[in-house]
This record gives sequence, C-alpha cells and structure tokens, in this order.
Amino acid sequence: MKPKDEQKQENVLFVGIDLGTSRSAISSSHGIREWVESYVGWPKDFIAERVVGKPVLFGAEALEHRLSLDFCRPLERGIIKEGIESSERAVKEIIRHLIDLAKPDPGQKIHAVVGVPADSLKVNKLAIRRAVAEYVHTLMVVSEPFAIAYGMNLLNDALIIDIGAGTIDLCIMHGTIPSEEDQRTILTAGDYIDEQLFNYLIEKYPNSKCNKNMVRQFKEKFSFVGDVPEPIRVELPVNGKPIMHDIKDEIRRACESMMPSLLETMTEMIARFDPEFHVKIKNNIVLAGGGSHIRGIAEYLQEALKEYGTCKVTCVADPLFAGADGALKLGQDMPSKYWETL
Amino acid sequence: MISFIGKNDLKIRQDILRGVYEQNLSMLRRGRPALRWRGHPLLKRILLSAVVCVFAVLMHGQYNDSSFAPAEPTANINMSPAPFPAAVTPVMTEYPPLPGADVSSAGTPNIFEFSPFLNSQNVSFSRMLGLKIKTIMIDPGHGGAATGTIGKMGTMEKEITLDIAKRLKTHLIKTGRYHVLMTREDDSTVTLQKRVALTREAKADLFISIHLNYLPRKPNIIETYYFGPSTDEKTLKLAQKENAGSEYGLSDFKEVMERLGKTLKLQESKEFAESIQANLFLNSRKHSEDIQNHGVKRAPFVVLLGVDVPAVLAEVSCLSNSEEERELGSENHRENIASYLAAGIFDYLNKGALTHEAKR
Repeated sequence: MKPKDEQKQENVLFVGIDLGTSRSAISSSHGIREWVESYVGWPKDFIAERVVGKPVLFGAEALEHRLSLDFCRPLERGIIKEGIESSERAVKEIIRHLIDLAKPDPGQKIHAVVGVPADSLKVNKLAIRRAVAEYVHTLMVVSEPFAIAYGMNLLNDALIIDIGAGTIDLCIMHGTIPSEEDQRTILTAGDYIDEQLFNYLIEKYPNSKCNKNMVRQFKEKFSFVGDVPEPIRVELPVNGKPIMHDIKDEIRRACESMMPSLLETMTEMIARFDPEFHVKIKNNIVLAGGGSHIRGIAEYLQEALKEYGTCKVTCVADPLFAGADGALKLGQDMPSKYWETL
Repeated sequence: MISFIGKNDLKIRQDILRGVYEQNLSMLRRGRPALRWRGHPLLKRILLSAVVCVFAVLMHGQYNDSSFAPAEPTANINMSPAPFPAAVTPVMTEYPPLPGADVSSAGTPNIFEFSPFLNSQNVSFSRMLGLKIKTIMIDPGHGGAATGTIGKMGTMEKEITLDIAKRLKTHLIKTGRYHVLMTREDDSTVTLQKRVALTREAKADLFISIHLNYLPRKPNIIETYYFGPSTDEKTLKLAQKENAGSEYGLSDFKEVMERLGKTLKLQESKEFAESIQANLFLNSRKHSEDIQNHGVKRAPFVVLLGVDVPAVLAEVSCLSNSEEERELGSENHRENIASYLAAGIFDYLNKGALTHEAKR
C-alpha cells in the first residue's frame, strides 16, 4: 500500500474533488489545485450566447451574466435534484470543467475520489457516478467530512464539522469508515444565514435595496459570532443614492441563528458514543468548509459546550481545499488492486 | 504520509481504505443489476407478479378498512404507538397466487414470503423502504379574497392560519433538518389547484394544511383529516366549503382519483393525521378542559387528493366558539398551536410513536 507501488509507475493522474454547494475544488497528484464556484449557466438563446461568447459559464462568470443564462446551482441544499435534467447536466459540466483545470495529459488515466455532502452520498450515489464517470477512468465517492478527516489524519475519536452553503455535515471518526449513523446533515447552513440576513436587513432598512448576492458578499466578508470590536458598515442604495448602514447586529443575529441546531446535533452525536470516548471526541472537534471562516465560531462553540465539560474546537487551515486534498490523499493511498476492480 | 505513522494507525487506515472500496463496490453492484434484468424475463415476471400481489393485498386491506363507512374518529390517544392500518395485516390465505407467479416451483420466489414484511405492526411501508422526509409544505388555509370563516369578533380564518403556519415553519426550520415551504406567505388568494401545483413543483415530501372549524353551538373541536371517502353529512359539507374555489375540472378529478391507488400515501397520511391529532388534542387539553377530540377522519378534500405525498388537513381550532376566538387573538395561544403541530410532525417522523412533548 505504498504510494510508490506499481500504480504510480503507470501514467495515472490522481484527482481529489470536493463537490460543494457553493464551491467545488480539485487537487491533483501533479500539484494543481483549482476551485470554481458551483454555479453553471447556459446562454438562454443564440443572442445570449453571442453576448457571453461561450456555450457554458461557471462560477463568478456565470453569476455575472446570470440574466442571460439558464442558471443552475446543482447541489443546492446539499443534493442533486435527480430527474431534473439541468441539475445532473450542471454537475457533469462542473466535473468536466474541474478536470480540464487539472490539465491531464492526453490519454492519461484518471483515478478520481469525489467528496460530496453526506446527504448527497446517501441519496445521489448513482447520479454522482453518472455525472463523473464520463470524465474519469475509475471513481470512488465519499462523504465530504470523511474526506477532510482522512486528509488531516483524524481517523479516530474526532468530530469533523463541514459547514457549507447548503448543509452542515457532521461526521464522527472512530477508527473505521463512518456509517450513516456516524454522519448527520443539517440544513441551517450558509444559505440559511443569507436568508436570515436578507430578512433582517429588509426589516431594519425597509427603504434600502439589496439582493441575495449582495447579502452573500456581506456575509462572506463580515460574518462573526459572539462579538467583534469594530462597527460593520456597508453601502446600500436608498432611492438610488448610496447610503452607509450599520449591519453589525444583523450579521451577528444571522450567523448565530444556525448555532442552536448545530449545537443540538453536536451534543446528540457525542452523546450516542460510549461515555469513555466523550472527552476524547470533545477535545478533537474540527471545523471545515466556508463556515469555519466565521469569526469567533470555534470560541463560541467551546463556550456553549462548556457545560458539558471542556472541549477544544479548531478550524482547518485551508477550508477551500481541505476536502479535495483529503480526497486526493485517499486516492493515492488506495491500493492499486482496489482501483483495478472498480 | 503513510510511512511515518504508527502500526496501529496503519491498520486503521488499511481498514478504512478497504471500507471505502467495499462501499463503492456495493454502490456499483446495486446500480448494475437494474440494467441487466432486462435480459431475464422470468425474474422480471416473478418480480412483477410479486409487486402486483403486494399491491392487490394492500389495496384490499385499504378498502376493508375504509368500506366507505361514515367517518369515525380513529386517533389513538392512549400514548401507545399508532395501530397499523388493516392495509398491512392481510389474511394471506385469501389470496391465491396470481397467474404468472409460479409459487409451487422450488427455488423461485414465493409471494407468501412477503407476509412478514406486510404484517409488520410497528414499521410503516415507507420506513421499510427507507424513504425520508426532506421538504415540508405548509398550507395556510384560505387567503386574499377567500377569508375562510369569520368569528363573531371579526377574526378571520385566513389571518390565523397564516400566522400559525409561519410559526410552524420557524419551528421546523430551527431543527435544520427540513426544507420548509409555504403555499402562501402573505394575504394572497391562492387557488387549491395552485396549492397542489406548488407542492408538486417543490417535490415536497409532506403536506399539512391548516384550517379553523366553524361549528355553531359546539365547544372547541379539534379534528384532522386525510383524504378518503366519507358519507358523514357534516364532513361532506365541510369538504364542500373547503373545496370552494377549486379550479379543477371533472376530467382533472377523474385523473386525480386514480391517485387513490397510492396506498403508500393513504397509509402514511393516516399515520401522519393520527400523530397531528394526538399532539394537538393532548397538548391543547392541558390548557382547556372543554376541548373535544373529534379524532382523525377521512374526507374528500381536493387539496389532499391532489398532492402525491402524505397529506393532512388539520382543523386546529374552532372560530365559532367565542372564548376560543378570544384566545386565538393571543400570540401565545397561536404559538402553542404551532408548537403542537410541530410536535405532531416530529412524532410522525420519529416512527409514529407518541414521544415528542411539545416544546416552547
């Protein structure tokens, strides 16, 4: 099972892919790491195609031209909407695009490990295989938090929490491949924060104009829980005139709105385990995904869980690539005999 | 890297890698047979026959259960798990094998082997199939020009149902487990057809319609309906009232009537209704002794017929009762009702056992 075993001598490119609701990333065995926002758009008609100049657009570019496009965010709420042609087609396009970004040599064999939201793994296994199989030679699908755990060598007595846009995926590692019971998904994630923030802003500043995209940008730039010393002021147009607004309270309320369900799920999951392991797991809680960027989140969770005893919550160093890197590592560690039979 | 880790870690890692491989292999194997079966007409025929038998048995049981009799309260409120409908407790000897299923042949599947599956008292058909609830549609009754009933003090049904629906939505969303939608978010007119269409478009897994009763000279009455035939005059009148404004044509109705065959929906709807009714009544009675439990009933509400998923219509309160109308004016009371509905939904989702105490 050495990384240097025979398979490495072949002309094989290993790729780890993190297929997320908001962002998807790829890490390849020859060192390329790329990411794209998980939006896909196809020009609505030939005029739109001439305007945007491409048959399909991804990420920020798709967002920018969304009015001219049939726009799709295929993993909204953490699952592919099976049977809806555009969703499956969009997943295929994202995979194709990511693999193009990894620049495989012509004819090179590709072994891929794809990390997906835990719910998607439960309900979309075959849809994911269908979407990816066209572009790779062999494929394994795993849950996202598990890929992160593997990449960080958190194989035993650890709780990994992947806070994404569509879902928060929690996974307890206890020295074996996590079963369905070891993994939980909650839907109050990044998109839920956007929704709450949008409502709070509309409520507080009814005369101001803002849209969901602006709100998402505010969240990504300023999100925090607990407290931050500085005021948070943003520009919002009122009757066409840009006016500065203080949105600190609204940002805090929106970000903290996802905490009750997260804390409840965390304590439920830990409580399911043998009490002897509670302390170990509580001292090995790792946050990943875009949500781990929320300022103060680790301290907030530590404080909230204080009544259950001490605990230690840390954030991964590189949330954007932690999943893809973990998937790549898993692919490279996988014995070649396993790859051959898939 | 792997060469720097301890022996124990290496073993764990090897086990995990094997686990990932096996999981993916089984995923592949599960995906492939569906394509291969095309070439095996015998297997296909046996499977088809078995499915037909199961369906026939279930349907027979269903209509044994209903027999188009007057609606009777069926909610089991003695805190025991809801009894399983007769639909899944058939007397197997009454059903000879269907042509095409050679039950006498050694080595071929026998439809009677399905009997433990069908006779299960504790687990519903959908749970056996591992079906999950992800999206819940809440339907606040009436709205816009359709005010619904109006109390003596001017309280409108449409306003109360919308407020309770919004509170229920908050309860459900807070869990982080469900995507929750509403057929209307404001005081707008939404036809029954549109409500059905919205539910289908959203691919909702569960549907709950919230209404208020109006029964003059009666105490506060709580009752919950799921779709089914009824000969009870009061129930039919109520259905006529709640169906007013439906834009369905007769031909649409014929088409949707065919949906009656969806045993799964009926079975689940009944169980769902029982859970809602029990939670609403038991919790409401803690605050008011006068409340009456009219139980779970079948009624031909169009909005319940049209949706393809477990669906109930809950008459959560009675606006004709002046004291209740006053109570409905209080935010606290409406919040209570919403929390009881949420508890009913959680109980239904948690295997139908009455375990979830309404929380505030």
